[in-house]
Amino acid sequence: MTTVDSAVRPVGTTRAGFWQAVAAEWTKLRTLRSTVWTLVLAVLVVPAFAVFVGITRSLQPDDTILGGSLTGAMFAQIAAAIVGVLVMAGEYAGGTIRATLAASPRRHTVLAAKAVVTSAVTFVVGLASCVLAAVIGALILSGKGYASGEPMPALPGVALSIAAVGVLGLAAGVVMRSSAGAITAVIGILLVPPLLGPLFQDWQRWVVGASPTSVLQKLSQSSDAAPEVAGSIGAWPSLWLVCGYAAVALAAGAWMLRVRDA
Amino acid sequence: MIEAETLSKRYGPRLAVDRLSFRVRPGRVTGFLGPNGAGKSTTIRMILGLDAPSGGKVTVNSVPYARLRAPLREVGSLLDARAVHGGRAAHAHLLFLAQSNGLPRSRVDEVLEMVGLTSVAGRRAKGFSLGMAQRLGIASALIGDPGILLLDEPVNGLDTEGIRWIRGLLKRLAGEGRTVFVSSHLMSEMELTADHLIVIGRGRLIADTAMRDFIERNSQRVTLVRSPRPDQLATVLRGAGGLVQPEQAGGLRVSGPDAATIGELAARHGIPLHELAPRYSSLEEVYSRMTQSSVDYRPGAPAASKEVAA
Repeated sequence: MTTVDSAVRPVGTTRAGFWQAVAAEWTKLRTLRSTVWTLVLAVLVVPAFAVFVGITRSLQPDDTILGGSLTGAMFAQIAAAIVGVLVMAGEYAGGTIRATLAASPRRHTVLAAKAVVTSAVTFVVGLASCVLAAVIGALILSGKGYASGEPMPALPGVALSIAAVGVLGLAAGVVMRSSAGAITAVIGILLVPPLLGPLFQDWQRWVVGASPTSVLQKLSQSSDAAPEVAGSIGAWPSLWLVCGYAAVALAAGAWMLRVRDA
Repeated sequence: MIEAETLSKRYGPRLAVDRLSFRVRPGRVTGFLGPNGAGKSTTIRMILGLDAPSGGKVTVNSVPYARLRAPLREVGSLLDARAVHGGRAAHAHLLFLAQSNGLPRSRVDEVLEMVGLTSVAGRRAKGFSLGMAQRLGIASALIGDPGILLLDEPVNGLDTEGIRWIRGLLKRLAGEGRTVFVSSHLMSEMELTADHLIVIGRGRLIADTAMRDFIERNSQRVTLVRSPRPDQLATVLRGAGGLVQPEQAGGLRVSGPDAATIGELAARHGIPLHELAPRYSSLEEVYSRMTQSSVDYRPGAPAASKEVAA
């Protein structure tokens, strides 16, 4: 019933290099319902909030339309974090990681490919989501007495912060190797500073100001980005800070991936 | 060719693999045999570079696994059939493996065809029976048309048809000149598929030998004899120094004199024989005798588990 005689006739080069790993990671990402649905959710969540804010006019008088439209951007960050976690920890849950590493034994190559795919996909998804939300917000709210806000280069900046959080999720996934644990950790990092900020009193503007979510408020020119709440670090330096967190976490993950048994 | 040189793996105080040296050669099925917990899976994971050895080294085609340019072209492995992400379709699983080594996409359909999963290629692995999952695992191992195959307990949990299919496949792959290394904790399974045996117990090498030699060296010869005059025959054989035990079905089980000697003795005394059959004691018996001392946790034998290999 079976014959094992058809030898591989390679087309081009057969090697387990970086671009091969990127192609494999892209296939993995798009062939799982969990990651695909989380990404769909990420696309929809920010526009959904824009519609809500637009209809209910739940803006502060000093808010910009852009800021109001991007109210849901934090949820896009959370969705990106979950995608990042699933890309890595999802492999540990079933044992796919062993198939992955047997196929691509150079572990840093695998992690780099995962980081590239995760950040590229979450950036594109985040950008689409935020642009859509900004357009919806502008359609509903312009001419209603709010300042419009400056969408460029704020929107790509927000998308970049979403991608950085995606990579942070990926790093948490490598370090913790468990989806539940890593998702909890990353969502904690995102939600705890804005929720518990007031508890830190004088330190609030530092704790909140250095958090990944405050970048969103700063970039989208929301009234929540006032210096007494979110510190005096500017929007773009905050963004580079968040990218820095992601890079440091990823480096830690790379080291652990290298030294631990799969 | 796989070469292990004083390969060791330590987990805390326990040596899971203890200075193991062996070679696995092409063109034959090499059985990797040992009781559960003997260190087979750990050894296989070290060959694949998944676990780092605590000592010694292991190479595949003379280089460490991590240095292979396109590993799937050289080594196909099956560790755990259930290691496929349940949410992913069979086709998608094979596709990402092919892409990771720059193999042509067409290879996915080819291996699906080989293992007979073409009709369920789009179905998610979650819904697969163990037999189907095992076939998908074999397809993954074959995707790069590798010269070396490493299979960890491939028949575990399979039904008879699945077991027969794997056995045939392994023999065919070895017949094509590939290196086939297959682990099992069941001697009876190895007896039917392996040409060569590497036996380990408690992480240590117990035997590395051709299957035929293993059988001949380790089994006791007995001969089954059937005669219409069993009592007279038994007396004659005992007189010739044989150990004779009556069998349930009326025959005699003789150890000592071989079949030729028994036949000649019977003829000399004019005793008719209806059956004269040389037998080996089962390999399962030999194997369990060999590995008994090296089983880590044997029920009712606490003394054995206290002894820590160092």
